[in-house]
Amino acid sequence: MTIHHPIRQTSRLLTILSILTIAGPCYAFEALITNERSGTVIHVDAQGQTTEVVPICRRPRGMVRGTTTDEVLIACSDDHKVIIYDRIKRQVTREITPVPGAMNLTIHPETNRLLVTNEGAAKASVFTLSTGELIAALPTGLEPDGIAITENGSQIFVASENSGLVHVFDGVTYEPRGTIATNLRPRRIALRNDTLWVSTEMGSRVEIFDINTLVKINEILFAPKGFRPEQMTPVDILFNDAANEAYVALGSANHVAVVDLNTLAINKYILVGRRAWGLGLSPDQSTLIVLNGLSDDFTLIDLATKRPRLTKRAGLIPHSIEVFE
Amino acid sequence: MKLLALFFLLAASVVNAATAATLHIAIVTAQAFESPNRGKSFAGIQTRPERSIQRAVELALFESTTSFDASGIDAQLKIIDLNKDRPLKEQIEQIHPEALVLVDTPKAEFIELARLFHELNRVTVNVRHSDALLRDQLCLPTLYHTIPSDRMYFDALSQFLIYRGWRKVLIVHGPTDNDKQRTEILKQSLEKFGADLSEIREFTLSHHPDDRDKNKPEFLTGGASYDVVAVIDSAYDFGRYIQYSTRRARPVVGDVGLTPMGWHRTLERYGAPQLNERFQTFLPDQPLSATEALSDTEFAAWSAVKLITNSLHVIDSTDSVIQPRHILSHPEAQVDLYKGTRGSIRRWNHQLRQPILLTTGDAVIAVAPMPKFLHPKHYVDTLGLDEPESPCRMQ
Repeated sequence: MTIHHPIRQTSRLLTILSILTIAGPCYAFEALITNERSGTVIHVDAQGQTTEVVPICRRPRGMVRGTTTDEVLIACSDDHKVIIYDRIKRQVTREITPVPGAMNLTIHPETNRLLVTNEGAAKASVFTLSTGELIAALPTGLEPDGIAITENGSQIFVASENSGLVHVFDGVTYEPRGTIATNLRPRRIALRNDTLWVSTEMGSRVEIFDINTLVKINEILFAPKGFRPEQMTPVDILFNDAANEAYVALGSANHVAVVDLNTLAINKYILVGRRAWGLGLSPDQSTLIVLNGLSDDFTLIDLATKRPRLTKRAGLIPHSIEVFE
Repeated sequence: MKLLALFFLLAASVVNAATAATLHIAIVTAQAFESPNRGKSFAGIQTRPERSIQRAVELALFESTTSFDASGIDAQLKIIDLNKDRPLKEQIEQIHPEALVLVDTPKAEFIELARLFHELNRVTVNVRHSDALLRDQLCLPTLYHTIPSDRMYFDALSQFLIYRGWRKVLIVHGPTDNDKQRTEILKQSLEKFGADLSEIREFTLSHHPDDRDKNKPEFLTGGASYDVVAVIDSAYDFGRYIQYSTRRARPVVGDVGLTPMGWHRTLERYGAPQLNERFQTFLPDQPLSATEALSDTEFAAWSAVKLITNSLHVIDSTDSVIQPRHILSHPEAQVDLYKGTRGSIRRWNHQLRQPILLTTGDAVIAVAPMPKFLHPKHYVDTLGLDEPESPCRMQ
């Protein structure tokens, strides 16, 4: 006996429709996502399919592109090391150790340097990228998270979550060059031209500073519908200069804000999963990928329409993302 | 726009000024007035940790080292343990007039001290007492509360029960006045969020057979229909024996079982593990075990100091003495509480607004406010008396 089931039929129809839409305007990419609690890196394709799950280390968090497009560097917080992962061979090719409480990282290929924040140790460490040799330790406030170096390598910025400070260091001598007082719990740092953008998670805003004078020049507040101001807990900031836009993941407010880079006005709030924090952009700038830390999934957003295209399962606590051709 | 720019310039100059300023903090205790059985139940069984709040205050100052260095601030901590034989006023007059005074004494002495400090125009923080009386009746403009109120705890619990669909509540409470007052507050919370009260029953510590309806958990919880048993037992004497002995197989909440707390050692998110680890290890010669964490009173003391150190930018930085009163009364004062939402002061009763954790011995089951309990202005203001409900109306 066959039971007619209208709901199931509708969903089947929707599946067919969504396959058709996905097959349409989409360009290929490969995204790598670190999953803090499952200890894995997953490979994801442009359809949101996970094509490979690679056990990698304990508590992989920050991830950054290496010197070639085959490589990423991953901070393994509970293994106190940074690993270099080859995404083509799907294996770890090298380790830099010890890196106590490795949290976030960045590289400066021109000067062959790797910079890592050491979360429990109130410092950041600088290594020679090619050899893994420790060059310098930069003292910071408690719980350092975001780290950035200017394009010319002359200035290093490290955010201390607990202290509400961004520490500034000379990029050559590593001497402290002062601090920038931010709002509560500065998390991520993004550099653009001569400005420094800082997300303050408990301050519920993004603050913008001049990197030469270290003076605050602007700030961005958020107000998606249905949320109160203190629910805005911004983390990742991503620039898309081609579209003249910045994206900010709003954490517990479960939205991503699209910011106009000229006016700093917010053009759109896009609803995603729970505690949105990691952000990635496809190389063709067509797709924004948002990691949702509390719902263990990621959302692909079509940037032409600014609509979420689909949400798929990630590993446990997805943390960081890098996207490749 | 010009004003705004000026503000930003000022904010930045705080960092570079490096002028020497002092932050005075005082802890007032009264060991001589404490019950010798504090934190203990019958037969000397320790039911709650009782530590001095000094460790929590020192942690808050330790965390502020970097920002103090950056802005040239020096912190002075003074600890006064009150002598029973000397006039209180004379003893507290030694405290610096601009100190942030954290008072950790029994309730009767607390009320007396709060009034005295008010006469002396000193800013006082309640880190220990959750009583409605201190917020709603005492209502002193110099008095702040960083420990949650009973109403906040019970509102969190009530929201959780409604969220779970456990609407029918049997209340079992102890014989003390404090138990009765807290039962009344629990009742108001349950009513506010739409729970159904099954019955309210009182237990006795007597083992006499004539009292069995009131001393045997099976009888005490029999002959009624309920989804959950809420226990109010401020002294932790009897309530601990109700779980697993209820007449019907129902969860137990309140002072035992699922308990609303300001802080907990097993909170996994929002940086909480880092704070817990720091509390255990920041004093190398006095480490705590990995199972220990800030009590609600310690968390309240830590929050009070952090509220000041997180909000130094709201006041004029040129004074040589930092005036916590101007920070506490400033609408932009805020604190990172490591529980997902920043804390700030409610202007109408000087209560620190904050999320409340719903906890068991080894887990945080939920963080209130629960989903769908929305406040028109402030995310956490569904917990505790809101402005229109509060008999205390400070501005």
